[in-house]
Amino acid sequence: MSDATLSQKRPLPLTILITVFIVIWVVLAAFPFIWTVWGSFKVEPDFFSRQSWWNAIFGTYTQAQNDGNSFTGDGYYGAWVTREFWRAAGNTAIVTVSVTIISLTLGTLGGYALARSGRGYAFWILILALVFRAMPHITLVSGYLLPFFQLNIWGVLPTSIIVLVAINQPFTLWMLHSFFLSIPKDLDESAMVDGCSRFEAFRRVIIPVMWPGVVTTGLFSFLLAYNDFATTSMLLSSDNQTMVPKISSFLGSVQEQGNVMFAVAAVVSATVPLFILVLFFQRQIVSGLTAGAVKG
Amino acid sequence: MPHKTFFAFILPSLIAMVLFIALPIVSVIVQSLHVEHARVLVEVESCQPFGGCTTETRVDTAAMAELRAEKPMGQFNGLGTYLNRGHLAVNEIGAILASNNGFGDIATRIYNLPFYKALSFTLVFCFVVTPLAMALGFAIALAVNALPKVTKGPVIFFSLLPMIITPLIGSLILYWMIQSNGIIGASLQHLFNDPTLSLRASPVLTWASLLFYGVWTNAPFSFVVFYAGLQTVPGDTLESAMIDGASRWERIRFVIIPHLAPLATFVALVQLMDNFRVFEPIVGFSAEANATSLSWLIFNDLSGDAKLFGSAGATSVLTIVGVIVLLMPVLIRTWQEFNHKVV
Amino acid sequence: MAQIRLKNVSKRWTNFVGVDNFNLDIADQEFLVLLGPSGCGKTTTMRMIAGLEDVTEGEIWIGDRLVNKLEPKDRDISMVFQSYGLYPNMTVYENIRFPLKVRKVPQEQHHDRVMAASKMVELDDFLQRRPAALSGGQRQRVALARAIVREPNAFLMDEPLSNLDAKLRVSTRAQIKNLHHTLKRTTIYVTHDQIEAMTLADRVVVMSKGLIQQVGTPMEIYDRPANTFVASFIGSPAMNLIPGHMQDGVFTGDHIRVDGLSTQVNGPVTLGFRAEDAVMAGETGQIEAPIYTVELLGEATMISMRVAGELVSIKVAKDYRAEIGDVVRVNIAPAACHLFDQSTGQRIVPGI
Repeated sequence: MSDATLSQKRPLPLTILITVFIVIWVVLAAFPFIWTVWGSFKVEPDFFSRQSWWNAIFGTYTQAQNDGNSFTGDGYYGAWVTREFWRAAGNTAIVTVSVTIISLTLGTLGGYALARSGRGYAFWILILALVFRAMPHITLVSGYLLPFFQLNIWGVLPTSIIVLVAINQPFTLWMLHSFFLSIPKDLDESAMVDGCSRFEAFRRVIIPVMWPGVVTTGLFSFLLAYNDFATTSMLLSSDNQTMVPKISSFLGSVQEQGNVMFAVAAVVSATVPLFILVLFFQRQIVSGLTAGAVKG
Repeated sequence: MPHKTFFAFILPSLIAMVLFIALPIVSVIVQSLHVEHARVLVEVESCQPFGGCTTETRVDTAAMAELRAEKPMGQFNGLGTYLNRGHLAVNEIGAILASNNGFGDIATRIYNLPFYKALSFTLVFCFVVTPLAMALGFAIALAVNALPKVTKGPVIFFSLLPMIITPLIGSLILYWMIQSNGIIGASLQHLFNDPTLSLRASPVLTWASLLFYGVWTNAPFSFVVFYAGLQTVPGDTLESAMIDGASRWERIRFVIIPHLAPLATFVALVQLMDNFRVFEPIVGFSAEANATSLSWLIFNDLSGDAKLFGSAGATSVLTIVGVIVLLMPVLIRTWQEFNHKVV
Repeated sequence: MAQIRLKNVSKRWTNFVGVDNFNLDIADQEFLVLLGPSGCGKTTTMRMIAGLEDVTEGEIWIGDRLVNKLEPKDRDISMVFQSYGLYPNMTVYENIRFPLKVRKVPQEQHHDRVMAASKMVELDDFLQRRPAALSGGQRQRVALARAIVREPNAFLMDEPLSNLDAKLRVSTRAQIKNLHHTLKRTTIYVTHDQIEAMTLADRVVVMSKGLIQQVGTPMEIYDRPANTFVASFIGSPAMNLIPGHMQDGVFTGDHIRVDGLSTQVNGPVTLGFRAEDAVMAGETGQIEAPIYTVELLGEATMISMRVAGELVSIKVAKDYRAEIGDVVRVNIAPAACHLFDQSTGQRIVPGI
């Protein structure tokens, strides 16, 4: 669609309407984050102020408690050092990285097979994956708990990792399947005629050209592992918690002790990686979201 | 591709899915048919030098532990858990239907049963948030498409945030703002001049804020998909519509919307699936007093010291049935298409 | 050295027949063209020979080996794909070298063989480029070079010219013909373009709906089409086919009456003749009909008219001029006429 020709003819009121609408939406989308990031450097009476939210902007109480300085890192110190949030951050790093790598390894192999098979059973595996994809994670968790207690593997990181990988598989398979469909079949077939077995063709010819799709899928695997609350909060013991369940368990305890700002600081800390992710991978995220839609 | 190669490639993935998705579903079904052991009680007589003897009833921990070790599932309960008050509540509904003061009374009393309360919120969330988010997303997509190129990037960046954010964290951020001492909550009190106004206190306002959160976090996905769809609208068709004299609105109505219709089905499907498992915002908003969802019920049964596996299992099975009902139209259509393709 | 034999080869999917009972012996060093419209099973046949598609039934022999169960890599063939299948991450040089590398050809031979192949298809100036930086014709030549570098038993080519523009198609066609002459390998070539088939082939196999319609040299197929399908598929323009009735050696139909034909054939038939076999007549013609359209081709003029409900094309001298609607009279020599059974479409050979 050629926007140039269309936009030239747009009447002024419509342009104003569009602009106002977009401004409202961007504020709606971005303001909560900006506000919370800003507020995380204040003390609690400022950020949660009954009198006036101007306190949060000027940091009235923060100045009073902090020798006239209107910013404070107390929340961050409390969360990261006092309450050992770094431990949770480390766990999150281990879990997300492992989940992403394992999911992609299994997913590329499976997705490639599904894209190249074209048989009836490949189709049904995809449909089954769609049904699995729809299962609320917590229903699966209620199936894990008892066996995991019995096997004595509850509470540790590897268990969570493998569970998240499995939960992730249906989505990964779908996405990589549709990505591999976009790689011409001629490529691996000519490799096979040239003297490769199927696996060699995959390794020598497909792997070098599959990275864009793998990166996109990897982003979503990462997000799923990073954002998960249902699985990790039920499957990890309190020592091994990742960031999101840790924040949730913060909530109960810090609120009683008047340390809500610890939670706010932790929340902001956990948001930062996501910001960076969107900043650098915006295009891949957008293309990943649409790949399934346009093709599938 | 020969069968052998195919399965060699897909086996790891298949094993993971069977072990950690298919088997747990079976495990959930088995669990739901069992119930925790009844407590083994023993009478203990304790005599004190001057007070005489009293008999006390205590839980026999040793016997319980032995029983648990023997049958970790608990005892077989058949469909008992499904029918009890915490789930389908067959008897209670029978009683309500037998004696009531009209339709409103039936509705209120059924709503007060925990399973139906959760079910009604889950369904309302699904079927209110999905269309609203899609409409909002479509509007944003149209508007962004009309923007000059320079501003598109940043707008898309900010638009992605509500979707990409961890659900629990996103709901916490909003919750802190709408609390009575947060910026929005306080402003609203000020605006309506009502210092007792609290979004948490009334069920209606709690629902409204949860639904708002739902639309906020779901709209970006529809936006991105529809925006990408807009890029593929055939220019020829749009231009011939312009030559045929279609107005701006008519072009949207007769060219763009039909072109995006298949995408809309996809978006609706994905969002219905995701919204059906709504859970984190209830935790984030601490809204369980006024709004619960099926996922939250399961979570609630499992957290806490007494892990009610039977109860959680039954709710899980009912939830899975719900998912399958939700997916049924898609599955039936796929099935038909598949058969059609072969014939 | 390889002759290729296909014995009763069939390919069936759940309830769709791709190739039905295909029997053919391909001689060593022969250039065989599989010709047919899309979906006729020609590509499937080639893919079965290559091992990219399972054979449902029957046997495929390459040389003296039954290859049904062999992987593509073990069949010692090479193939040029319709969209070339070049490896986008490798340079042209690496692309051509790839088959040598994976087949563990001794390292020291690689360079010479790559250079020899690239010389043959005139790619020397592009060896360090990647496929994305090449034009369609150059990519096509890389695919050819990659196929010939290994000197396999047989070449398979799947519509290798269909993605090129018309001019390039002619020159590449000549190059392929020349390569075949130089390398002397069995070549199987799939196309839907009858001119490619006529110009390249030693023998042509015309296929339709999974069945072989006719096997023969280009001239046999052109001069004696086995049925109406082949007749209407070969030649440009295709053979005129007119439904009508035979009685005592005379074919009659709407606007047409041809005599002097075989007296042994009676009843409803389809009469076929080629546009160039018709000649303008004087007072009376076997065909008398108003002109539907006149097309100037340059080297000749094509006029067409409606005869017995069919549009019939006739090639006349390039200076012929007439208006649409003028009545023309045309004669056809009986020897140039082909007769086909009206219900089966098969050629009727008088006297049998």
